[in-house]
Amino acid sequence: MTMGTDNETFSNAQLNAIITNENTSASDIPQLHQLNLEAISPRYRVINISLAFSIAFALIMVASALRYQSFFAIPEPLVTAFPYIVMGVCVLGCVATIYHFFADPLIKYALREQDLSLQSGLVFRSLSCQPILRVQHVELKRGPIARLAGLASLQLFSAGGATHTFEIPGIEVEVAERLRQFILDHKDVSAK
Amino acid sequence: MASPEVDTAKPSESSAGSQTVKVDTGEDWRRLSPIAIAYFTLRSIKNMAQGAIYAVPAIAVTANINDSIQSPITLLSIAALVIIFFSSGVVSFFMYRFRVNNQHVEIHSGVFSRSYTNLPFWRIQNVKIELPFYYRPFGFALVVLDTAGSAGEEAKIVAVPLAYAHALRKQVLAEHQEHGHQENGYQENGHQERETSAHVNDSGHVNNRAHANNSSQACVDGDQSERYSETNEDGETILNRRSITDIVIHGITNNRVWIFLGAAAPFYDNAFGYLSEWLAEKGLQLNQLVGEQTIAWWQFGLYAFVMLMMAMAVVALISIGGALFTFYDYTLSRQHDRYIRRSGLLNKQEVSMRASRIQVISAKQDWLDRILKRVNLYFEQNASIGHSTKELMSPNRLIVPSVTEDEADELSQEVMPQSKIRRSDYQSISKRFILHWVIAALAIPFVVGTGIGIYTEHLDITAGVTLVSAILLGIITLRWWRWGVVSDDKYIYVRRGRIGIDYLCFEPYKVQQVVVKQSVFMKRRKLATVQFVLASGAISVPFLPEEYANKLANNVLFEVESKRKSWM
Repeated sequence: MTMGTDNETFSNAQLNAIITNENTSASDIPQLHQLNLEAISPRYRVINISLAFSIAFALIMVASALRYQSFFAIPEPLVTAFPYIVMGVCVLGCVATIYHFFADPLIKYALREQDLSLQSGLVFRSLSCQPILRVQHVELKRGPIARLAGLASLQLFSAGGATHTFEIPGIEVEVAERLRQFILDHKDVSAK
Repeated sequence: MASPEVDTAKPSESSAGSQTVKVDTGEDWRRLSPIAIAYFTLRSIKNMAQGAIYAVPAIAVTANINDSIQSPITLLSIAALVIIFFSSGVVSFFMYRFRVNNQHVEIHSGVFSRSYTNLPFWRIQNVKIELPFYYRPFGFALVVLDTAGSAGEEAKIVAVPLAYAHALRKQVLAEHQEHGHQENGYQENGHQERETSAHVNDSGHVNNRAHANNSSQACVDGDQSERYSETNEDGETILNRRSITDIVIHGITNNRVWIFLGAAAPFYDNAFGYLSEWLAEKGLQLNQLVGEQTIAWWQFGLYAFVMLMMAMAVVALISIGGALFTFYDYTLSRQHDRYIRRSGLLNKQEVSMRASRIQVISAKQDWLDRILKRVNLYFEQNASIGHSTKELMSPNRLIVPSVTEDEADELSQEVMPQSKIRRSDYQSISKRFILHWVIAALAIPFVVGTGIGIYTEHLDITAGVTLVSAILLGIITLRWWRWGVVSDDKYIYVRRGRIGIDYLCFEPYKVQQVVVKQSVFMKRRKLATVQFVLASGAISVPFLPEEYANKLANNVLFEVESKRKSWM
């Protein structure tokens, strides 16, 4: 079986080790930990952090507006709870910010001739690998904020079910579209 | 596919003893057998009952049943309901037409919302033949045609003679095989052999159909064993039968209570009412027992114990009943490239599964099974289609209840040749698995619990918390002890469980996705968790040596990507 070279759209850096079927000795099997992983867009982190910030800010604003408005009286227990609520929201916002600050740059993906891999996680790091052969359909997901930033998420659906959807978040639209096209042009997917 | 047809009998006449059944109905639309009226009537009653089940308590409360049950109004309304249901059944019967023409099944149905279904044979994934108990004396069958899509997309031909049902199934499946044969040209040798043998069988189609017809008559006579020996010549091989003893054992070792309890849910209140009345008659009053201090604690304990034992016995009996209800006269057979399971006491049900669709074999042994040396064997296929896998009758899962360990080996080797599930060379997981769960889940509740106990000087709390923690620790240790993975040239085996043991076996090329997980701490200790996502669900093995996990993941990926075989 020959592995096609029908992917001029990708530089060699993006295409990792090519699988050939002729060599089957164990040392020649492509290794997952030798992937040339590529980081997702740095804008993804910016979006997440600003989102965490603005949600925390909005919540505090709503709470303060309720606390200090003069249209109706607030029950006493809620008034005493107010500083704690603000504090809690601040802490959660900070945790989310810190998490995204450190975790988002660790989200990396790699494309090989036959599969797509994604590495993610700060404390619990997972490396998942989705063979393109098993992809049933591909979707580009773009929320309103991602659209503003020119980012998209690439979702690959396999027969493994909804909980095991393979998703690469926060990559540039052009990259996502090229990846999608690569998967669609892959002869195993297009042959169906 | 132009299969040989012998044009002698119409389906409606076939049960009268003609030798062949013509599947194709031609251009004409066909009505069902009138027995379908019973089916439609019962279906509408069932639908109403399901809709009204929540109204039952309300009605029971508002109407004093004993008073009103004899009143003419009640009788009249019951009669009216019966007439309404019956006439809706009749109307449904007249509105239902079907034809099988040119490799398509077409169905017109519905009274107010008419629906038209057109199913080409090659889109039908599965043909189930069901025999509701009121069909059986007359030799009719319900044919359920499954498509690959969701559960709602199945089509039912409600009442046709059994012989016609068998002939239709044969033709649809033959078409499917032919189609599948073209698609799966790249199947490996083992499968090709099987498929070619299937085609040899196909050539004897006309004869087979005659047998199918005979078999229906055998069934009408109620002689099950004769039926199965007949179908043997039908290209069907019986792989396993379950005797009543086996099913009783299954009922004891597995909790099949819910088969009845689920259906009986609306009557719980009444049942408890009657029960306490009955007990009161016998001079035993629950309220007094609990409320008064007149009896010694050991007496109370004895009562409680006896009650518990009685309850357990009742539960076991109900469970045996449930097992008999679903698994009576169980047979597992192979026809060409499919496995077919037939069982049922009142409603005979049939589930069939293509061999190539089976993703995982799992052999499950609960603690009672281990004592009795029995195994429940499951063949699991795609879980994302339709029904939940938990259902016993679900087409995603083929269960062989309570086989012996040797039979389990034999059957799993039948489905996955050369597989060896019970083996001693499982790669065990690291002891850090225990440490991980102790720190992650056990430590904080234990410290908090004992701390509260000591602080409030209630040492019984401390003792209780310690006991529960010790039990949990034991379970975690058992889980560590059981968990293991091993692979050979063809398969990957996983062993897991707590008190019982599950053995899983799958072919690596059917994997959909591979995940290797590692926490910072695991990385330091060179450990990793590996997870294989299959169409039937994910299987993971935690805390393996990093090198082993990576090798396993790489090999599986290579297998998927180099063999390029279909997972279906």
